[in-house]
Amino acid sequence: MKTSSKAVSEIRRGMIVFVVLAVLTGIEYYVGVHEAPNVILWAIALLKAAVVIQFYMHLMRVFRSQEEH
Amino acid sequence: MSTHEMSLEAYRQRVATNRIGLWLFIISDAFMFGALLITRFYLLGDRRPELDQTLGLIVTSVLLTSSFFMNRAEAMIAAGNRRGFLTSTLITMVLGIAFLVGVIGFEWRLAPFGPADGAEGAVFYMMTGMHAFHVLTGVIFLFVVFRNGLKGHYSPERHWAVEACANYWHFVDVVWIFFYPALYLMGTL
Repeated sequence: MKTSSKAVSEIRRGMIVFVVLAVLTGIEYYVGVHEAPNVILWAIALLKAAVVIQFYMHLMRVFRSQEEH
Repeated sequence: MSTHEMSLEAYRQRVATNRIGLWLFIISDAFMFGALLITRFYLLGDRRPELDQTLGLIVTSVLLTSSFFMNRAEAMIAAGNRRGFLTSTLITMVLGIAFLVGVIGFEWRLAPFGPADGAEGAVFYMMTGMHAFHVLTGVIFLFVVFRNGLKGHYSPERHWAVEACANYWHFVDVVWIFFYPALYLMGTL
């Protein structure tokens, strides 16, 4: 069966999120090995977690009573 | 009544309730990981364990990539692409196993301390061990979903198990998002 346009846009968004997370991880590694203040590492970790929860875990689905998958 | 016999309306209602239950479980589990994170800073303060930085970055990248494929698997089954769903689920499973091999098989062996060598060892093995246990249960969950997928148990309208598995897997990734900098990057040697 062919992949629908909704799925294509979801996969595309998933790819963008993946790239964002990869870039943030790269920055995190660079900052970490150069012993920068922990607050920067905390900020990056919180941002990465927020991105995963919002776009991969679809947190907002919980607040919609009945919705398709 | 099985999910196949249930009306679509009733099924969606059940899924809405299931979602709340899953999130409550995730939140309760997050408290346990939060406690481990606090323990790390309480016992080690601004010191960090001497760990292989390259290996840390590799296992982090592997888990990150697995989350992408898990998301892809969910999108594929929602679109009715069973083959794409099975392939992505299988890749996620393989990456999960690769993460376990990296942490348990390599990092635990390479670490210059054991679990009983003071606070450093206790914190490192407890944090990575508890997380690895969750990855292992995630891999088992993925295997069950993959097997049921092979049998054709999921459809674009009815695939709650896939959604639950994906959310659990992403949660395990979120935990590592905090554990990785706390163990490998924050503080000095």
